[in-house]
Parts: sequence; C-alpha cells; structure tokens
Amino acid sequence: MTVTLEVANLSKSFGGVHAVVDASVSFQPGKVNAIIGPNGSGKTTFFNCVTGMIRADAGTVTLAGHDVTRASPDRIARLGLGRSFQVCRIFPRMTVLENLLVAVKNPSLTGALGSAKNPTAIAAARVWLRRVGIDHLEHAEARNLSYGQQKLLELAGVLMGDPEIIMLDEPAGGVNPALIGRISALIRELNAEGRTFVVVEHNMELVMSLSDHVVVFDRGRPIAEGDPAHVQADPRVLEAYLGV
Amino acid sequence: MRNASETLELERALTGARWLTAARVIALLALAAVLVVFPQTTKVGYLLSTGVVILNYAVTATGWNFMGGFTGYISLGHAAYFGLGAYGTGILVVKAGISPFLALALAALIVAVIAVPIGIAALRVRGASFVIVTIAFVLILLLMFQSMGSITGGSGGLSLPRPFPDLIRTDHHRTFYYIYLGLLAVMLLAWWAIDRSRFGMGLKAVREDEDKARSLGVPTTGAKLVAFILSAFFTGLGGGLYALWFGDLDPVFQFSIMMGAYMVLMALLGGVRSLFGPLLGALVVGMAIEFFKAQYGDTQFHLVATGLLLAVVVLFMPEGVIPAVKGLFARFGPQASSIREISAADLAAERDAEEASKP
Ligand SMILES: Nc1ncnc2c1ncn2[C@@H]1O[C@H](COP(=O)(O)OP(=O)(O)O)[C@@H](O)[C@H]1O
Ligand SMILES: [Mg+2]
Repeated sequence: MTVTLEVANLSKSFGGVHAVVDASVSFQPGKVNAIIGPNGSGKTTFFNCVTGMIRADAGTVTLAGHDVTRASPDRIARLGLGRSFQVCRIFPRMTVLENLLVAVKNPSLTGALGSAKNPTAIAAARVWLRRVGIDHLEHAEARNLSYGQQKLLELAGVLMGDPEIIMLDEPAGGVNPALIGRISALIRELNAEGRTFVVVEHNMELVMSLSDHVVVFDRGRPIAEGDPAHVQADPRVLEAYLGV
Repeated sequence: MRNASETLELERALTGARWLTAARVIALLALAAVLVVFPQTTKVGYLLSTGVVILNYAVTATGWNFMGGFTGYISLGHAAYFGLGAYGTGILVVKAGISPFLALALAALIVAVIAVPIGIAALRVRGASFVIVTIAFVLILLLMFQSMGSITGGSGGLSLPRPFPDLIRTDHHRTFYYIYLGLLAVMLLAWWAIDRSRFGMGLKAVREDEDKARSLGVPTTGAKLVAFILSAFFTGLGGGLYALWFGDLDPVFQFSIMMGAYMVLMALLGGVRSLFGPLLGALVVGMAIEFFKAQYGDTQFHLVATGLLLAVVVLFMPEGVIPAVKGLFARFGPQASSIREISAADLAAERDAEEASKP
C-alpha cells in the first residue's frame, strides 16, 4: 500500500535565481522524511514543483509509478499526495466543517451533484476534526480561528483527502510549543498507520526526534541525506547549514 | 468541557438563527407573491413592459452569478452570451424559419457550445486578465455582427415576427413576463442545487483560494468550465427570450459592455453569495435605471447614477445588500459569542485540567 515518490534531476529558476538545481531525491515509503536547509535553499520551491503548483524547468517526478511532472496539482492530489503550505492556507469564509468537505475524495458524477453536506462526508470530517482537536469549532468561520487552530484545520483538510503521502511545509512554523507537541504526536500516529511524510522543518529538535530520513538542501541542491544522526555529523551539513 | 453558560449561548444563537430563517421565508414569500401578482394589477402597457425589462435584468444577473458568484471570476463581457442568444434565436426564426421557442432552445445550446472554447481560453487566466479577455470577446462580437450585414441585419438591426401574433400588446407583455418569471425560477432552482452540491463546494473553494482547492484535489479546470458554460447558457436563454419579446435587435445594444456592467453591478449589489442576491440587485438597479430613463430620457444621467450606486455598494456594502441586512438583524438579535472567546475559555479549561493533574 505504500506509495513511492521519486524526484529526478529537478530544476527550477526564477529569472536569474536558481531556486532548485538538478535535485534528485527518493523518499522512503512509509517513513517520516525530513528536508532541512537554510532559508532560501529551495525547499518550498521543490515542494511546489513536486506537487504541481509550479512547473519545473527540467526533471521528472514519479508518484506511485505515474510520471506526474506535468500533471495538474489536483490530479497529483487525487493520486494520493496531500500537502500543506508554509504560510497556512485555508478557506477563510467557509466554516471549519466546510473546509474539510471541500476535500472529499473520489468524486463521481452523481457524487458531484449530491449534497456536499451528506452524512457520510460529515461523519468523516468529524473524525478528522476530533483527531486534530478542533471538533468543537466545527461551525466557526475559519477566518475567526487562531493561527494555531488554522494550522490544525489545514492539516485536517489535507487528511480528509486520505493521502498516502503527506508533504508538510514547516508544520511547526509560528505555533506555540504545546501545539508543536500535538502536531508531532499526530505525525507519528499517522505515520504508524502507514502514511509517508515529507516534512520541511526548521525546528531541529523536532526534525531529529521525528524523522527516519533527512535530506539536506543547500542553494537548491540536496547535499546530503541519511538518518538524522548521520546527517547531523556530516561536515558538509555543518558547514552549509549550521554555519560551523 | 461545555459548561452551562456556553450551552445557553448556543441555544440563544440557535433561536437567533431560527428567527432569521423565519424572517427570510416571509420576505421571500412576499417577494414571490408580488412578482406573481404584479401583472394582474395593471393594464398599462408601459408598466408591464418595464416589468419584463426588470425580469430580464434579474435573469441576466442570476445567469452571470453562476460564474461570478460561485467562482469569483468577474466577467464584464457577459453581454456576449446575451447577444449570441438573441441573434441566434433571431436568425433561426427569420432566416431558417424555425418556430420561435424551438429556435430559442437551439440558440441557447449553440451559445453553450460556443462557450466551450471561449471558456477554455479565458479560464487560463485569472483576476484582471480574465476580465479583459471577457471584454475583448464582446467587442469582437460587436464588430463581427455589425459587419456581417446580410445575416445579422448589420447596424440596421434584425426584426423578428411576434411569437404570439393574436395577442394584444398588453397580453404580449404579460405572457412574456410569466415566461421570464418561469425561467428565473428554473435558474434559481439550478443555482440552489449547485450551491448545496459537492460540485458547488468545489466552485466556492475556487472563489476562496483556487490553488488551495487544487492542492486538495478539486478538479478546478473542469469545474470552472462547467460553471462558465452554464452561465453562458442561461444568459443566452435570457437573450433569446428578449429577442422574441422585443422583436428588434441591434448589435450596439445586444453586445454592449454597459449591459455586462449592469449584470455585475446588480449581482454585487444584492450579494453574489446569496441565491436571491442578483434578483434583489436587479429589482433595485433595474427600477432605478428605468426610473431615470423615464424621468430624464435616455441621457448619460442614468450612467452617472449607476456609477454612484456602484461606488456606494463597494464602499459600504462590499458583500451586497442581503449580507448587510443579515448583519443588521444579527446586531439587533441575540448575540453569539465570538470564536476567540470560546477558544480562550477552552484554553483556560485545559490549563485548569493541567493544574489539577499536577501533584
Ligand atoms: N515565486 C518566486 N519568484 C521569484 N523567486 C522566488 C520565488 N519563489 C522562491 N524564489 C526564490 O527562490 C529561492 C528559494 O526559495 P524557497 O524555495 O522559498 O526556499 P526555502 O523554502 O528553502 O526557504 C529564494 O532565493 C527565493 O527568493
Ligand atoms: Mg520555505
């Protein structure tokens, strides 16, 4: 059931800025993979290329055996890859529940014309809301939530599509320590249920405790990868990332 | 932990909601009654024809709202589909001799087919670029229809025979009034059905954040195209009906930017998120336009008035009249607590629980 994600020779430039340069990474299925690297090293751009949000200049992305290099983001999502955004994105004028109902998986024609608020979808949404801990806010408009609650809502929305691979861009960014604990516990639980994670994160403590496999980016390139302890000891990583 | 005061608040909020629903139902029934009864109350041809004109505004604004309301893509060139529907019907009746209402249906289908490539092209861009593409299309059509004189009548216009030759003038208006009202009812029903559907949920997600919607697997390209085609189809039906009712077509009026701007204004004024928003906007703006025209003739004055109205709406009721009135109701009705308060209470409860668990 574990879906594979492989990226080969991916490049993306913005004008003269080489954001991602010839990046080849294969993520470990069923594991928590982390991407670390200094600000501006191309992690978010890499995410956007892989998820189809922006088109890469070169390279290939293979998801579950499909070449999705030029696929639309919605097709990639329907193939089982969910993602969050670095600056949390939700539907601000919808309620918390509606935010999840947008992401119901597998729409058939009759399904598309059926009620969005059908009992099955609502029940599924409530399961996820309860799991991330914001079920009591079901009827609140999403824009009225605190930033931390919005982050949880975004995560619940991603989970609603039942993705096998989940890419999170700085899940602990801008949230308080208690919530970081809750998010990392969730990632661990969901991973134990067989979901693969690819997490971009700055919080090194979190990365080291959470991940099985770490990829280090520097100036658009993956410069090292391996298990956390191994990567932490790599001199190139120390130089590039920790500035030692 | 939901405590007693919160339960009370919830109850109060629910009572408020029920009150609002009741008020809405009563207002709607009253509006529907007025619309249905109006033609029976007068024999004045001018009043009846004004009624038809205003319903025509309502149909076009509601048609526009299938695209603009659900997806937030603002088309200023929707007169294109109105004009195509009108000319399609006219040409099929006059040149091909097809019976009027069959011609109307065929023309609307043709408009839908034309909307496919136009939609595919226009929906590749967003925001202001989309607006410009829609304007360009209606201008191109205007020039085309003006120059193809032998088929379209050119700038001289195209005249259709009356579909009900036996009816006297007032009955002609009255009949068309009810046909328009029927079409409007069907459109409102369709809009309502989409609004509550999964498909509609995807469209509304596009309105809020298109890229986010895509990242969640909403097939936005297809969904937007379907909304676009539906919108063109209904607007085309409105145009065709207008051709049958009015009987005289002129490219300058059928393919006018002004008409597209009216649709936008009416929908915005009433509120694009509400089922009845465009209808309400059409009633207000339509009556204002017709009043100014009657009072001051067909001068530029009503344009100025329209512009002022648009400014007022955008400045003071950016969400439209319906949400503004709802807001007013909410202000005078029972107060629901804000979400932040609830979450603050929750945090406090959590803290207490933590405190309690400490030795
Ligand atoms: N849309 C864009 N247009 C121009 N430059 C961009 C854009 N997105 C990112 N960049 C540039 O690409 C580089 C990589 O950025 P990013 O992928 O956001 O890095 P990270 O997520 O690792 O901080 C940076 O120099 C950034 O300024
Ligand atoms: Mg980033």
